[in-house]
Amino acid sequence: MSRSQSHERTTHFLFLAPAFLILGSVLLYPGISVLWLSLHRRLLIFDISRFVGLDNFAYLMQDARFWNAFGNTLYFTTVSVSAELLLGLGVAVLLHRAFRAKGLMRTVLLIPWAVPTVVSAKMWEWLYNPDFGLLNYLLGLRINWLGAPALALHAAILMDVWKTTPFVALLLMAGLQTIPGELYQAARIDGASPWMVFRTITLPLLKPVILVVLIFRTLDAFRVFDAVYVLTGGGPANTTETLSIYAYKVLFQTLQFGYGSAIAVTVFLFVGLTSLLYVRQLRGVTT
Amino acid sequence: MIPVQPLCSQMRRDLVQVLALCIAACLLGPQACTRDVPGDKTTTLVFKHGKIAGDPGPFREVILQFERENPGIRIREEVLPAATDEQHQFYVINLEGQTNDFDVFALDVIWVPEFARAGWLKDLTHLLPAQSREAFFAAPLEAVTHTGRVYAIPWYIDAGVLYYRKDLLEQYGFGPPKHWHDLVHSASVIISSEPELYGFLWQGKQYEGLICDVLEYLWSHGGDVLQGNRVVIDSAENRRALSFMKDLIDTYRVTPAFVTTATEEPTRHIFGKGGAVFMRNWPYAWNLFQRDGSAVKDKVGLSPLPAAPGHRSASTLGGWQLGVNRFSRHPREAERFIVYMTSYETQKLLSLTIGYKPTRKALYRDEDLLAAQPFMAELYGVFERARPRPVTPYYMMLSQVLQPEFSAVLAGIKDPGEALRAAQKQMEFILKIEESG
Repeated sequence: MSRSQSHERTTHFLFLAPAFLILGSVLLYPGISVLWLSLHRRLLIFDISRFVGLDNFAYLMQDARFWNAFGNTLYFTTVSVSAELLLGLGVAVLLHRAFRAKGLMRTVLLIPWAVPTVVSAKMWEWLYNPDFGLLNYLLGLRINWLGAPALALHAAILMDVWKTTPFVALLLMAGLQTIPGELYQAARIDGASPWMVFRTITLPLLKPVILVVLIFRTLDAFRVFDAVYVLTGGGPANTTETLSIYAYKVLFQTLQFGYGSAIAVTVFLFVGLTSLLYVRQLRGVTT
Repeated sequence: MIPVQPLCSQMRRDLVQVLALCIAACLLGPQACTRDVPGDKTTTLVFKHGKIAGDPGPFREVILQFERENPGIRIREEVLPAATDEQHQFYVINLEGQTNDFDVFALDVIWVPEFARAGWLKDLTHLLPAQSREAFFAAPLEAVTHTGRVYAIPWYIDAGVLYYRKDLLEQYGFGPPKHWHDLVHSASVIISSEPELYGFLWQGKQYEGLICDVLEYLWSHGGDVLQGNRVVIDSAENRRALSFMKDLIDTYRVTPAFVTTATEEPTRHIFGKGGAVFMRNWPYAWNLFQRDGSAVKDKVGLSPLPAAPGHRSASTLGGWQLGVNRFSRHPREAERFIVYMTSYETQKLLSLTIGYKPTRKALYRDEDLLAAQPFMAELYGVFERARPRPVTPYYMMLSQVLQPEFSAVLAGIKDPGEALRAAQKQMEFILKIEESG
């Protein structure tokens, strides 16, 4: 009896082992080694590798390029996520109404989200081309979208909004479907205006889904790399350099593994803190 | 019920065994399969290089020829993306892990000191004794030499050149410009009567190519970046050079503002559809302009870049070198392959078929090559004057601080003096990294 039980237990562990092995090797181990690296001064080419404690983080605090990247990232995240949420909400409410070709509309809507980011970034690079880009052609202007410091980050935000609004709309649409129709009927009988219905029924009941959308989108936007890297590479004059791009350059182009890891850890801390706040909010809403 | 039970436990035992085997295979994987079968005399060399820009057929043929001449050595090609940054990242990650998954690899001209300093390259000095060095151009030789030793063999060469529209210059009575102000003058005159044309295109996006472009202006105004270990970037010459670049856009208006987003290909496209009078680019564009159906076929001339009065024209050196991974298990065979790939005959073949410009000077007097590509004679002068970007293990770090400063000048965020002062300070800081440990 006990033999078969212990046999059973080892069997359980054996079945779990691959999952643990995979999680451990692709999540835990790299995560811990980045943390460990961030406490080192490690320069491959010069054979320098020594423990420096929090020196990298102290340097980070006075690194103007880091703060520039931090500001860019924060701006990118705030503006793009707000725009996506507002637009996505509008699209979701519109698409939630019954009308013909609704299925087709939903499918079409998903196309920007389905295209790989690098591909759409390349596409937008051409759209923004000042010489033969479609955007300037349609506007009849000669705007240097990606080359002017005041415009480049906004151009990247526009692309991100184009790409992710469908995703936001889709999640919100799923949320709308969970709201019982009787509530709307009751409101109509009570003579509530459409705006009141939206404010007092739709919005509060949609709040958990909105929070989930915000978690997803904030985290994604804060770590944005591929879209901006392909569009501008961080230029002109670092005006579009985000934290992930800066970390990439420090790590893989200049091979400062310790300092680059410190930047990555900072991004992780910020992202972790943000999601913690969201999750707490979410718990308050759902219970 | 009853007969099911043993079957189940039997199945479970089998499953457990399979699972255990899987885990064991996972753990043993890398060691379990070795590339060379014992007893087999054939050595397989893995040759890593960037994607060939053009027909890979002739390239494959060159490698097959080596295998025919060297029975017992087989070459396996492994191709990386064309973008130099991605290749750099690949090599860094793998060489840092002391991989022996590849033996011979192609290095961008700016990596050699860095990789040599990190101890990732086999010393190849014995392949290039003093007397055979003279056969190569000086600039790539300088770029592959670190602390007096040679760590890679120059394979093919690249350098910035000026393309111009022969037909337009003739029509308006101009020759190819010798000085920068000649270029400005001819371009202004021509675009004032042909407003749909751009005057002068170059690469101004914040990326490695920007450094190449800017250095050509600094050098051709008498400036420099690094002398030995001394940072000399904050100088009057360099301020003049950067102001001139900015003036090309703002004051002379011969360069459109969008060059601040341009890399090589967009400028090549515009020039290739007949949209510009002058363009700075690498020699690769020539073959594309001369293709059948090209809008500028036989209308394009190629010359060294202009200079400021009293100074010499300068081109930034590009191109690729072949090196041996220090962790390779077949260094002798790898060296033999490099000697073959950089030989006179192979370089000639690669130049004729896929346009890789030879690093051996004698090939620019080769009759077959001159007959097929008459502009080779012009290129010889350009390559002879080509200058490498600062040859130092710190290069990638320097590039990372210079790119945003130069970009800030072109985008109008900083004036040249301010940007150069900032660059000077940051460069001095970086060069002290090694001492400070």
